[in-house]
Amino acid sequence: MGRLVLRRLLATIPVLVLVTSGVFSLIHLTPGDPVEAMMAESQDPVAKEAVRAQLGLDQPLYVQYVSWIGRLVQADLGRSIRNHEPVIENVTRRIRPSVQLALMAMLVSLAVSFPVGILSATHRNSPLDGFGTLFALFGICMPNFLIALLLIFFFGVTMRWLPISGYVDPLEDPLAGIRSLTLPAITLGLALAAVITRTLRSSLLEVLSEDYVRTARAKGLAERLVVRHHALKNGLIPVVTVLGLQFGTLIGGAVITEYVFALPGVGRLVVDAVFSRDYPLVQGVVLLIALGFILSNLVVDVVYGWLDPRIRYG
Amino acid sequence: MSLTARSTRTVTRRQFLRACAFVSGGLALVVACGPQPPAPAAPKAEAPAPTAAPAQQAPAQKPAEAAKPAEAKPAAAAETPKKGGTLRVGFYVEAATMDPHLSGSKIDRQVYHNVYDPLVILDTKLQIKPNLAESWQTPDPKTIIFKLRQGVKFHDGTDLNAEAAKFNFDRMATEPKSVRKGEIANIESTSVVDPYTLKLSLKKPDSSLLASLTDRAGMMISPEIIKKKGPDLERDAAGAGAGPFQFVEWVKDDHILLKRNENYWNKEGGPYLEQIRYRPIPDDTVKLQSLQAGEIDVMDYVAPRDVAAVKADKNLVEVDVPSLAAFWYMLNGTKPPFDNKLLRQATMYAIDTEAIVKGVWLGVGVPANGPISSSSWAYDDTIKPVKRDVAMAKAKLAEAGMPNGFSFSVNTTNIPINVQELEVVKAQLAEAGITMNFNLMDGARLLAEGNAKTFEMSTYQWSGRPDPDGNTYQFFHTTPGTSLNWSGFSNPRADELLDKTREVSDQAERKKLYSEVIKILQEEAPVIFVVHPIEPKAFSPKVQAYDPIPDGMMRFKDVWLK
Repeated sequence: MGRLVLRRLLATIPVLVLVTSGVFSLIHLTPGDPVEAMMAESQDPVAKEAVRAQLGLDQPLYVQYVSWIGRLVQADLGRSIRNHEPVIENVTRRIRPSVQLALMAMLVSLAVSFPVGILSATHRNSPLDGFGTLFALFGICMPNFLIALLLIFFFGVTMRWLPISGYVDPLEDPLAGIRSLTLPAITLGLALAAVITRTLRSSLLEVLSEDYVRTARAKGLAERLVVRHHALKNGLIPVVTVLGLQFGTLIGGAVITEYVFALPGVGRLVVDAVFSRDYPLVQGVVLLIALGFILSNLVVDVVYGWLDPRIRYG
Repeated sequence: MSLTARSTRTVTRRQFLRACAFVSGGLALVVACGPQPPAPAAPKAEAPAPTAAPAQQAPAQKPAEAAKPAEAKPAAAAETPKKGGTLRVGFYVEAATMDPHLSGSKIDRQVYHNVYDPLVILDTKLQIKPNLAESWQTPDPKTIIFKLRQGVKFHDGTDLNAEAAKFNFDRMATEPKSVRKGEIANIESTSVVDPYTLKLSLKKPDSSLLASLTDRAGMMISPEIIKKKGPDLERDAAGAGAGPFQFVEWVKDDHILLKRNENYWNKEGGPYLEQIRYRPIPDDTVKLQSLQAGEIDVMDYVAPRDVAAVKADKNLVEVDVPSLAAFWYMLNGTKPPFDNKLLRQATMYAIDTEAIVKGVWLGVGVPANGPISSSSWAYDDTIKPVKRDVAMAKAKLAEAGMPNGFSFSVNTTNIPINVQELEVVKAQLAEAGITMNFNLMDGARLLAEGNAKTFEMSTYQWSGRPDPDGNTYQFFHTTPGTSLNWSGFSNPRADELLDKTREVSDQAERKKLYSEVIKILQEEAPVIFVVHPIEPKAFSPKVQAYDPIPDGMMRFKDVWLK
């Protein structure tokens, strides 16, 4: 296992180089530059050139990339062009709400999808299964922003149970924090719950038709125990894959949810950074998001081994 | 696989499922137990009376009337103001920087007008009044002498004197990232006459300079803070200003917090509020819902589509703030097709701005007759916006040798109202045989293409300046190289008139000059003027004594909470 982790960690290096160089060239190829965006009101080309030179933007692209990598290996992600804040501070502050939101969304989705998915599988083709399928389709089809606005309208404006927008850190004020993240977590969690429900249902169905399940039933075990002790664990493997992939997406890709609920998360940070062509910030955030993806997939691989000891990595 | 191992895992799994159930129950509990904001009060009969006044202004039809600054305040000012409370303001977008000398974003100014005091200020009629400068003299057209108020201190406790003011002007002129250079370009030098007297020597007469000093160019920053913080001032302005409120903290994309300046020099009226908390809520609908639910007290801008609903809501107070803004379409006169005046005119005549203002802006604005907004003293209501005339458009096309029309593309940012507006324009142009294609892009690219003059037509939204010079000179005066004159417009007569408006100081005289410029612009069509939008703002009824100034900036010095 240790060797696996080490090897996977080493394998991240080429991936990160690819990701960063790709993002680096894409963002630099996009028309417009940070100086134009920042000094739009200034019509002084000489001053703009001076600022470009000061930021090193007048250098050839590969020089800029190499010097960025050079600072990176010294653990220096640089500073935001726009507001001069160190990129690492920017990201660590913004990653907190994103991770909290992702975790809560995941809890919401698990809490919903497990009962629905298991019941759908065990009561295949029953009205209950039909309801499960309907729910999943609903969750997948409904756009995020629409769910968000409906939730806000009902829980925030009409019933006034939950705050509409804004973020409170649950680590500072647990109740207010969890309340501020509840609607966004449901918004994100419902879509994810739908995916997990479908995955869990189909993988559980497959497992339930396996020989060893028939054996368990033949032993006279109660169906409940068959599902819980014999089938579920093996049926979870594809679910873990989905979860691992989705966790990364939830952290970096919850832009619309963050936008609607005015949460200061990583998604909005990177979108705003792209709009203002804040190169160091974009590169830094993308690098860290990529790292997060790789690590969460590594965790998934480790969990595979725990779920199914037959899976061995040599 | 040993038996023990299996049983441990089984327990873990069971715990896991149990945890899931627990969490879902817990969430429900959190929802149920949290503090509940008071339910919306039933519409009261004693809804703030003066609300009706601005609401009833019919802005679209009567430019002259809309031009008057709304005189009504959200609530009767008769009551004694109460000290204390936190005013929560919702912004449509996040601020960019806390350094007024480097700021190119309109939303920054909303914060600055409460943190940084300018040398001079605007009243509701856009006339210039003393502020940090007690008085000023112009012994000759190329000299302005400011007498500064004595005893004013920055939030860091240092003195605001002529030395400090000179430091600010020098920094605006020399700091590489400064975007104030254009506004103070005519200042040759600044000198300290005595500790409270500052002399500005100008390169040439500039009657628009004073108006620039009501905003960022006139806002004084503590030199000590600038020296101490350096570039960090951009995100931490603690101690930097001399305004009625001082900067406390800025958590990016979450909030900006200000607190009352107990030592504010002006003891008349406020500041009453304990704190101001600005929050960016990017989604218009969510921002409005936050106001309705009492999570914020003020929203900086109500989208046209929501204005009717806000006006109808008895629990909200809507104020139409006339703005200085002008939205227009830049036509690139340096390359085909719009280097041909006839094609520019054809396009202009084919567009029905009145229909756009009515149908897309829903009357939350007035059709534009030129770059100067209807709230300015220089607005000439005898000049009518260009009327749509399809026959004329076709005649111009025929004259240009293109009776079957031509096609071009328009650059715009991908914002719903821009796209809706251009869909209408596209249909209108099609009736004259002109084909318009869309080029949707983000703001940075739009600016880059504008500055490089690689576009054909581009939407442009100018937030406006108190002096008409800020809405005209930089866009329509011949300027070689990169400039805001994206259309590459160059007309000797217009240049002459625009230069003259800077030399003459009499407002009536200047107004006449601007009127002549506008007539030239309507004939030459370097740009197509579309709308002077109104900036509706919405308040909770407990917000008292807000005084709308047509520059759209919300100054909260005298505002208090009931």
